[in-house]
Formats: sequence, structure tokens, C-alpha cells
Amino acid sequence: MRVARVGPGAPLLLLALLVLPVFLDLYTAHVAVLILLFVIVAIGLSLVMGFGGQVNLAQAAFFGTGAYASAILTTAYGWNPWLAAPVAVLATCLMALVVGLPALRVQSHYLGIVSLGLAVAVANLLTNAGFTGGASGISKIPPLPFPGVDLTDDYNDYYLVLAVLVVLVALARLIAGTTLGRRLKAMRDDTVAAAASGIEIPYYRLLAFLLGGLFAGVAGVLYAHLVRYVSPDTFGLDTMFLLLAMVIIGGQDSIWGAAVGAALLIAARNLLAGLETYQQLAYGALIVATVVFAPRGLAGLAAAARRRLAWPWPSLPIPVPSRGSAVPAAPDPPTPFPTPASAVALRVEEVSKRFRGLTALSQVSLEVPVGEIHGIIGPNGSGKTTLFNVISGVDRPGGGRVRLHGRDVTGRRAYQMSRLGVARTFQNLRLFHRLTVLENVMVALDRDPARAHLRYLVAPWTVLARERRRRERALGLLAEFRLEEVADEPAASLPYGRQRQVEIARALAGRPSLLLLDEPAAGLNAAEQEELKAVVRRIREAGVTVVVIEHNMGLVMSLCERLTVLAHGRVIASGTPAEVAGDARVIEAYLGREARDREAARP
Amino acid sequence: MLRLERLGALAATVLLVAGCGGQLAGTGGGANAPIRVDLIGTFSGQNADLGNWAWNGVKLAVDQANARGGIDGRKIQLERLDDQGQPTVGTDLAKRAVSDHAVLVYGSDLSTVTLAMIPILTAARIPEITSGQAPAILQQGSSYIFLDSTTSAVFDQTLADYLVEKRHLTSIAMITNNDAYGKGEHDSFLAELTRLGVRPTIDKVVTPDQTDFTSVLTEIRATDPGVLFIGAEEVETGLIAKQARSLGITATFAGGAPMGTPTYIQTAGLAVAEGTIMTSPYLSNDANAKTRAFAAAYRKAYGQEPELHGAKAYDGMSVFIQAMRRTPTDLSGPRLIAAVRSIDYDGLLGHFKFDEQGLGLHATQVGVIKDGKVVPV
Amino acid sequence: MTWVLQTAIGGLSTGAVYALVAMGFSIVYRTMGLVNFAHADVVMIGAYVTVTFFLGARLPFGLSLLAAILVTGALGVAMERVLRPLESRDLNLMLIGTIGFGIVLESVAILIWGSFGTAVPTPIPNLPLRVGGLVVTTYQLLILAVAAVVTALLFWFLDRTKLGTAMQAVAMDRIAATAMGVDVAASNALAFAIGSGMAAVAGALVGPLLYVSPGMGASIGIKGFAAAILGGFGSIPGAIVGGLVFGLIEAFSSGPLSAYSDLITFVVFALAMSVRQTGIFGERTVDRA
Repeated sequence: MRVARVGPGAPLLLLALLVLPVFLDLYTAHVAVLILLFVIVAIGLSLVMGFGGQVNLAQAAFFGTGAYASAILTTAYGWNPWLAAPVAVLATCLMALVVGLPALRVQSHYLGIVSLGLAVAVANLLTNAGFTGGASGISKIPPLPFPGVDLTDDYNDYYLVLAVLVVLVALARLIAGTTLGRRLKAMRDDTVAAAASGIEIPYYRLLAFLLGGLFAGVAGVLYAHLVRYVSPDTFGLDTMFLLLAMVIIGGQDSIWGAAVGAALLIAARNLLAGLETYQQLAYGALIVATVVFAPRGLAGLAAAARRRLAWPWPSLPIPVPSRGSAVPAAPDPPTPFPTPASAVALRVEEVSKRFRGLTALSQVSLEVPVGEIHGIIGPNGSGKTTLFNVISGVDRPGGGRVRLHGRDVTGRRAYQMSRLGVARTFQNLRLFHRLTVLENVMVALDRDPARAHLRYLVAPWTVLARERRRRERALGLLAEFRLEEVADEPAASLPYGRQRQVEIARALAGRPSLLLLDEPAAGLNAAEQEELKAVVRRIREAGVTVVVIEHNMGLVMSLCERLTVLAHGRVIASGTPAEVAGDARVIEAYLGREARDREAARP
Repeated sequence: MLRLERLGALAATVLLVAGCGGQLAGTGGGANAPIRVDLIGTFSGQNADLGNWAWNGVKLAVDQANARGGIDGRKIQLERLDDQGQPTVGTDLAKRAVSDHAVLVYGSDLSTVTLAMIPILTAARIPEITSGQAPAILQQGSSYIFLDSTTSAVFDQTLADYLVEKRHLTSIAMITNNDAYGKGEHDSFLAELTRLGVRPTIDKVVTPDQTDFTSVLTEIRATDPGVLFIGAEEVETGLIAKQARSLGITATFAGGAPMGTPTYIQTAGLAVAEGTIMTSPYLSNDANAKTRAFAAAYRKAYGQEPELHGAKAYDGMSVFIQAMRRTPTDLSGPRLIAAVRSIDYDGLLGHFKFDEQGLGLHATQVGVIKDGKVVPV
Repeated sequence: MTWVLQTAIGGLSTGAVYALVAMGFSIVYRTMGLVNFAHADVVMIGAYVTVTFFLGARLPFGLSLLAAILVTGALGVAMERVLRPLESRDLNLMLIGTIGFGIVLESVAILIWGSFGTAVPTPIPNLPLRVGGLVVTTYQLLILAVAAVVTALLFWFLDRTKLGTAMQAVAMDRIAATAMGVDVAASNALAFAIGSGMAAVAGALVGPLLYVSPGMGASIGIKGFAAAILGGFGSIPGAIVGGLVFGLIEAFSSGPLSAYSDLITFVVFALAMSVRQTGIFGERTVDRA
């Protein structure tokens, strides 16, 4: 697997970085230290923005928070730098959480301007406050005391920062390649589908900011004690834009990309003195060109080149504890598979929903016994998908109750519903389009609660072991759908019918007790439809209750045991397919208009 | 550790493969090798005039020295580095000066940048002469820092004495910025007022990159001061004066050396600047034979009128050139600073005799802007 | 009470400038869905061009402003051409791409005009007028008047002219507009030109108040963008109200603690956006998870 293997590139690069200072004069060594520090900050930004999709324009302010916190604690309060460092990192994480709070309410460019505004606020504080030294900043910050090593020497600093960087890159790569990174990317690609796959969106938005803060905080503390001078100009908008450029030029969702981007830009800024204006011009033009011509950045170009050249990069396996097929594919966390406490899997009681005065659902009630395949039909706009949204927690009902196995779950959020055993597909496919097929399934398969991510800090090696087991199970599931040979393809690259299958596989991966399928047959040919029927029946055999919205009457009549018919947001009939088909109201309100379509859709 | 000159960090991997290239670093020694002097100045942004003036002054002194055979046959090689007015860039450039074995650093123009550079240059035992004026510069405990004029303490004592004792102006409001220079002006002027038993009507602090002072000036207007003391760099001082007038503040403007520059007059506008009272050790190019000679050479070289900053940069560099001539065979930091302290120098700004802290000039004068020109009172 | 009124006057006159900038952001956003961060630097270019004609060529201020509007309008058309590929891209790319373009504009400005900056005298004698204890300067009145005229012209153009209604149609439904024969590309270019022209007006108006320098766009740009978002992104009335409200928030927050005005303003802004996610006039995006 990708995570557990490292190409020969990484050790070679490390070796190169270890001998590099031999070739550097004092100033270039200093620049090298700055480069390494900015690599750390840029990787943090890449995790927030590239992976988490959170437009964070306050990363430079986080960097400053870490630097200033440590500087103030050591100069004004005389703390030992080693004591101040963790406190300063913690303070930065706290700042990141505070700046991240609006992300719970606003996203995309709204979040961009809010975080940028808060960054301006932080800069304003740094420039004005007495305790930050105002515009003059803070000088004479003590170096980090280290027995036998003089950390005022740039060459020694270089190795210290390099050591920290290696640890942080390893951590970032681990995050990027395993459950946490996958969840962040899933949230970035499609928030609704991510929530429906059990991802606690609010936590993960904050977590993304927290990661950005953590990396920026560590870099900030190191900066303060190595450069031993901080002033507001280092942490302003120019730096923020530089960081953004690093991440974009390097490649948004690549840890290596961010690192290379940072190295390039800082080296250019500090080694090409005297050309500031032209340098700035070139830097601006480079950004525009990257965005227009190579939107995936250097990482994207490198990947394309590698695909074209197909270099035989050998991979070295990293020894992972208990590696090999000897490990049984044990269920990784005890999946919450609710034992049916009641014979009724789903009960919807008089649910209503309005959107801006338009009634989408009005007093809708239905009941689905455990193990039934239940169909919901109705003309377009009759409220079918809204009903699914209410049941799966995507929309909150305006009135009424939703009960799952007898338990009142009205108004729960989508991720809560997912964790309670409700899975769904979407009318307009909502795959995580930049993730692979395998990753799509693994996102849903992974039922670890958010707090399990503490492993990344406490016992990172266990992450890999769990990851491997999860991967085996995901491959098993894909095999059932005969999708294993496309496991590593980006989901968006598959043909439509295959994407539908991936979505169903993803929904099943969470081991739901109730599966909601929203027009699963749309766009499928006759053979695929037959296969779909078989799949749905097999799912039911496994004990899963299925509710399906479908326009294809032939499919509905042959697949479903009972039907509920909606029109204008109301239930107008329910019963067996035969009963419903004979219902006068249905014929009048629904079949009359849809008859032609039905005939056309029949094989 | 083997150090090769100027290999970009980027090229690291390539280099490893390609083997070692480059040349061994010069030690700054060679018999006829030029003497490296770095001028770290503010050449871009709002305070860019300062860097250009300093460059003009220093360059003139260096060119004259080189024309007369340099230092014991060695030419002085002047390197121009732009700190962009940002202290962090200043620290980077200070490291660069150390790395390049500069014998002397001239800079920076801004006290804030100077303060940031002091620890690095002092640790490397490189003398630094600055046109900064903040008293804090002298309080760093470094014997390697020198001022090319005098400090805010001296400027503001002269100014306060003139305003309060001579003109009996006691309704004085203060507005200063919070960089090292502004803070020095604030503390010094306030101390002088306190000594004279005057309390400012109001005491407001702004930031160096601010351009809108409406809210602060509105508060100041409410105290109806007779004098508004402004402690900030040239452009900011001009903007404050200009906005103060348009808000209806009729007070006389007073302050330090920045107000004696054409930049201030231009920024504020002729009408606004008229009547401004400032202190400066260099009020006129016509003061004596020396200033006339300097002004003539300056005009010839640059085609513009010299002012205070060019003159003091010329003075500062000239003192060091004299010091280099006293110890031409050993230009190491400790020797050079000892030589500087042994010199009595009569310059354009007055008499220089450097003390242990690095202060050489101890007096200044009061001037006023009349018909758009600075004249002694 | 005097203080409140006095502060409000100051807030409204800066708010009028923010409103002009905000309208530029919004008009581009609603026609092509592009968040254009280079807009801030168009403000700066507009200010510089005005100054060049006003101080350099000694043209009257009004004519200089007109020239600046033409220059930035052309710049807007060029910018649309370069940034067009970003239209359908994800926000991060749009953000950094337009910021990159802004950096290019800034360095071009440095190459042309230097990095030093210029102080600009007010085009009319800036006299403080005293009205019942309040001080209003003549230049403040000029700003409000010019902003009002420009806004009125914009409304007239959008509602009463054929080109304007075509642009409105694109903003509402691009596909339907194309079907009806509206040239979407031309409409986008026009939106950019108009937005840029308004930025030039904003730049020209603040120039004499503050200081014209290559970096002047950053602060005005961020505040103008925040104002557009606060009012409801893409809404023209929203941009006007957002600009004025933002100016007022700023003016009042700089009362007692003037040094921390930015801090207070943006914290208030963040809170306001958390309460009302899509601004005062609203741009509804469903985001519940």
C-alpha cells in the first residue's frame, strides 16, 4: 500500500539535506533555515486548505502567534524556552480554533474573508499592543538552550529544524495517506456525502484548522528562538500570500508539493537580492500561470510526467507491525450494527418541511418493517428526495418525528444518522471525486470516532496497521461489486454506471441497518438494471432494510414489496405494488402523467 | 566546516551529484582586495527617500576617498542592500553582511531596522553606523553601534526648551508612531515637557504604516492645542500635518529632523508645512565653507539639493574613513571601533567625538519653515 | 450625541468608498462567479492614473478621473481575458490566481511610478464646514456626491439600457441568456470593465485623503470585499449597504481605542457573518452537514 512504502527518493533527499550545509556560507545557511521553517508552515496550510478544503487565510497569523507567544513568555516572563515552546504551540492551536469557529457557519469565500479579516485583526494587535513591542517587535529572544550545542549558530539551527521537519513531514504524510487525511479530503470534495458517510463535519473543520495551527505554531516557536527577533512585518499579508503561492505552486493536496513550493519561493526571495521588483513581477506571473495552466501545481506536473515516463520507481516497504496475510481481516472497530429492537425499521410520523414558504412535505407518514424493500414513487417535485434528506439528517424537519428502530432520531445531523446505521445514495451521484474508488469506500467503512485520531500523536504505528485491515475489507467489498480492478482509479474517471455501483458500495461499507437509494437505476441500461435488482435483493438478504426512490416503474413493481406514493408533498397512497397500481388517486395524480414515460422505460 | 561561496540551497541535490563547485570564500584579507562596506538602507516603500539620501551621502564620501587612493591603496567597495523598511529583512541582510565579511555596515535608516540588526552585527564584531536616532539604539550595550547624528533625547531637549522657555507655548498635543523612532521621540519629548512642568493636552500613538489619522486627529482637535508635536518618519509626519489642517486643527506643527526634509514639505503641502518648527543639526547648505563644498559636490554628483540625511551619512562615513586610515593594516572590528573613538572630527553637522555608547554629536539647532524653506530661527 | 453624529459622518464618507469597491467585487461575482482579489490593486492603479493626469499632466481632477476610469476599464477587459480560465475552477485557485494577478499589477505600478508613493492635494479646497457643532469637510461632501452619482449611473445602466439588462440576464441565468442571444463573454468583459472603473473612482477619491502608493490597495480591498460579503455577495444594493455599514462599524470602533480599530472591526465582522451567514441581503447557499 502507498502509505507503508517509501520510494528511494525520500532517503536520498534526506541524505542530501544532511550534507547540504557543508556547501553553504553563513547567509545561505540562514536562508536554508528559513526555508525549512516555511516548509513546515506551508505543509500546515496544505493540510487545512488542500486537504480539508477550509479557506484559511490566517496561516501567517498562526505562525506569528506561535513566534510571539514564545517570545513574550521568554523575554517578558523569563520562562525557559523549552517550557515556553509547548505553551506557545498550544496557544497557537487555540488561536487556530478560535479563527476556525466561523468555519462552522460559513465556507468558501465567506470563510476566506472572515479568516483574512481575523488575520488583519491579529496583525493589528501585534503592531499596536505594548506587550508585543509594537512596530519594533521583540528582540533579544533567548536561544533554545541545548547542552553542548550552540543554537545561535545557523548551521546547528539547520539540523535542529531539519530534525523537527522530518518528524512533521512524517506525521503529515501519515495523516495524508490514512483515515484522517481521507476524511478531510472527503469533506473537501463533498460535504453532504461526507456527513452521510458518518464524518462529523464540524469537528473536522475545526480539526483542519487545528492541524494548520499545530504546524504553524511549531514553526513559529522555532522561528522566534532561532532568528531571536520577531516583528509584525514577518507575519502579515505578504507572508500569507507567499504561503498560499507555495501551496498552489507546489500542488494543493500534496505534502511534497507544499514543501517544494516553499523551498522555491523562499530561496528566490532571499537569494535574488537587488531584483525585488522584477522578482515580484515574476512571482505574480508564475502564480497566474500555475493556476491557469497547471492547476494541480508541481505535484500534478510531476505525477503527469511520471505517468508518461513510467519510471520503474522501486518501492521499499516500511516494516509495519504484524504485516502480512496472517492477520485476519477482523472487524476493525466493533461496527455499531443496531440489533433490531423493534420490528419496524423506520417510522416517519407526520413529517413536514417547508423551504421559503414552499411546502415540500406535508404530514408525511410511512412505516417500513425490518427487512422490507420499500419503494417511494411520485412525480417530479413531489418531495421524495426531501423525504430522504429529512430521514438521513441532511435536512431538519419542520414538524413531525422520525423513528429508527423505535428510537426517536428527529433532527439528528447527517453524520449522526450515518452512525446510527442509516446509509444513502444520492440522486445526482455524490462521490468524493478526487478520491480513488477504494478511498471512497474506505471513507465510509471507517467508523472510528474522531477522538481515535489521538493515535496519530500517541501511537502512530497503530494507524498503519488499522489502515491495512481497513483496506483489505474495502477491497473485499469492491470485489463483491467487481470493482477491484478500478480500485485505484479516481472515482470521477469511471463510467456513470460504475460510479453508481461505487456509490452503493460506499453506502454499504458503513454496514447500515437502513439503506436509502435515491433513483439507483437512473442512467443504467437493462443489464445493469437487472444486476441492480440482484444486488438490492442480496443486500436485503443480509438483513438490511432498503428504501428506494425510483421512477422506473417496471423496476419498482418487481423489486419492492410495498410502495408509498407522494404527490405535492403528501402521501396519496400506500400498499403493495398491485394495490397502489389500482388506486384511483394514484392513476389520476401520477400514473396518468407518467404512463408514457413508464412505457418508454420498459425493456 | 568547509564553506563554499554562494551555492543556492535549491541546487543542493544537483550539487551532490555534480560534486563540489564554487570557490573558497574570500577572507577579506588580500593585500589589494577592496574593503567591503555594506549599506543596508530603505530603498523601497514609503521611506525610500531615506535610503537614497543615505546612499548619496555615503557614496560621495567613499568616492572621494577612493579618488584619493583609498585606504592604503585599497579601494572601498560599497554594496547597496534594500531592507524595504522591514526589520526582519534587515536581520537577513545583517547575516548576509557577516557572511560576506563586510568591514563596516552603514544602516539602517530606520531605528526599528537598526535595532533588529544590532545583535547580529555585534556578535560578529562588525561596526555599524546608523542614521537612526532612537535612544534605545544606544541602550543595547553594544560598543559596535554608532550614530551619524544625535538622539531624540538631544533633539527633543532643544525643541522643548525653545517651545516652552523661549516661545512660552505650553498647550502642546503629541502624536507619535510606535516604531523605535516614534517611541524614542515620544519618550524623550514627554520627559522634556515633564521636566519643564508642562503636561501635553493629549498624547496619541499611531502605527508606522497608518495613512488615515482621522479618528486620532478628531480627538486631538477637541483639546484645541497651540502646538502639535509629531514624532514619525517624513511621509507619515507630512500626512498627519495635512490631515490635521483639513480637520481644522490650527496648531503649529513641531518635531524632529524629518520635518526639515523636502519630503515632509511636499507631502504636507507648502501651505500646511509653513511655520513648522523643527530641530536639526543641518539647517542650511550655506552654513559654512564645509557645507558649501559638500553641497557643491553633492549637486554635481546627483543633480539635486542635499539635505540633512545626505549630510549626516557623509559625516558618518567620513569618520569611519578616517578611522580606517588610522589602522589601515588591521580593519578588524575591535581595532576600527577603537580608532573611531580616538577621532575628533569636525563635520557638516558639527563636532563629532564618539563616546562609549556610540553617540558622537551632542548638539542640534532649531529651525522653522518659511516660504517653503528651512531657516534657522 | 454630537460625537455620534460626527462619527457617523466620517463613517459614511469612508463607507461610500468601500461601497464603490464592494460594488466592483459584486458586479464581477454575480456575472461570472469570480471572486476577484486583484480588484484591490485596480483601486491602486486607478488612484495612480488619476494622480498622474492630475499632478503630472495638470488636467482638472474630473478629467483625470475620467481618464483613470478608461484606463482601468481597459485593464478590466484585459484582466477578464487572462482570468477567464479561472471562472469554473475551485475557489482556492481563483483566490490565489487573482491575488497573483494583483501582485503583477503592484509590481508594474512600482516599475512605472516607483515604490515611494505620492501625497495628493485635494482637488477642491478642503474646508471644514461647521453645521451646528458638527464638522463636515467639503471633500467629504464631494466623496459622497461622486459616489452617489456613480451609483445612480450604475443603476440606470443596469435597469434602463439594453446592455445593462443583458448583463442582468446573464447574472440571473447564463444558459437562458445565451439562448436569447446575449454574448456572455462580452457581458463578462463589460462587468469587469465597469467594476474596474468603479475601483478607479474609489482609488481617485481616497488618494487625496490618504497616500497613493503601490501597497495602498490591500487595506481598502480587504475592507471593500468584506463590505460586499457583509451586504450579501453579488447584490448591488447589498454592496452599498454593506459598504456604508462597514464604514460605520469602523468609525465607531475607532472611537475609544483608535489603535485597535481594525481588530474590533474584523472581530465584529466575523461575528456578524457567523450570525447571518450570507450577509444582510443574502446569497443563499445550503450548507448543512
